[in-house]
Amino acid sequence: MEIAFRKIDIDVYDEDVLLEEELYDADPRDPVQVVSETKAKTSQVRSTLAKGDVAGALNIVLENAPYGPDAEEAKNINLQTLLSILGSTKATEIPAILKALSQDAQDTLMKYLYKGMAMPGWGDVSGSVLLGWHEKLTEIAGTGCIVRVMTDRRAV
Amino acid sequence: MSNVLRPYLAAVRSTLTAALTLQDFSSQVVERHNKPEVEVRHALITSKEVLLNPLTISRNENECVYIEPSINSIRVSIKIKQADEIERILCHKFTRFLMQRAESFIVLRRKPVSGYDISFLITNNHSETMLKHKIVDFIIQFMEEVDKEISEMKLSLNARARIVAESYLSAFDS
Repeated sequence: MEIAFRKIDIDVYDEDVLLEEELYDADPRDPVQVVSETKAKTSQVRSTLAKGDVAGALNIVLENAPYGPDAEEAKNINLQTLLSILGSTKATEIPAILKALSQDAQDTLMKYLYKGMAMPGWGDVSGSVLLGWHEKLTEIAGTGCIVRVMTDRRAV
Repeated sequence: MSNVLRPYLAAVRSTLTAALTLQDFSSQVVERHNKPEVEVRHALITSKEVLLNPLTISRNENECVYIEPSINSIRVSIKIKQADEIERILCHKFTRFLMQRAESFIVLRRKPVSGYDISFLITNNHSETMLKHKIVDFIIQFMEEVDKEISEMKLSLNARARIVAESYLSAFDS
């Protein structure tokens, strides 16, 4: 007997169904534009890092971070840039840098830390670096920061 | 606790503490249902807004924790370190032993989430009847102990194998 029809999700045909994209405001920028902006930010970060200004470089990366389903390429570029900053920072400097960040920037950084940990072996960053940053960030921003990562649908 | 393990467990502890904010919540889709929302995710009878973003905490590819929060339940899946074939067998036997007795551990799930070795399911009933920080302590302690337990079992297994081989081969010695 044909029973495949039982697996059909009939709720998607409901007129007041809640869709994934209704849970957050979509990025108003065009995907192509986002990619070019992210690439521009990468070179900006490199010059800032060359001057030794890690906090400034982090602020540039975390500001207007790409999100949403269409921005995969920009997201990967941004993550790569951020990981290169995290990997090159000395452990003793981390608390001062984190305290200088705004709350939004701290939340975005936490999102990137979890994203980095979700794909181990990707890029050249090791888990212990991310765990070190995570520990310091939790000390400074509290568990509220983690709750905001869990509830914010704008996944980076 | 060893120093290399500490940041990993600290990250799991803070994430679990953040995720364990549960409340009673009946299904919005099925009448008179009150099920853990993380578990009905694949049954097409869930509502998206009550599931939160899942988080992963990893030390390396072989050791990670996957935490799936929702409004009335969280699911914690652990991948245990398995360096070689013996550890893989021991880990499988050990987690199977525990999961067959899942009801004595209350928060243990009977089956692990695919890709992981052991899973815990904590619902709002558990967080109401037990202390939240004790539940977190339990999971952290489990993670600490399980590595130690498996390496101990591996040592005693090797010692036993050596004795068996010696006494067996001594018959041909004289």
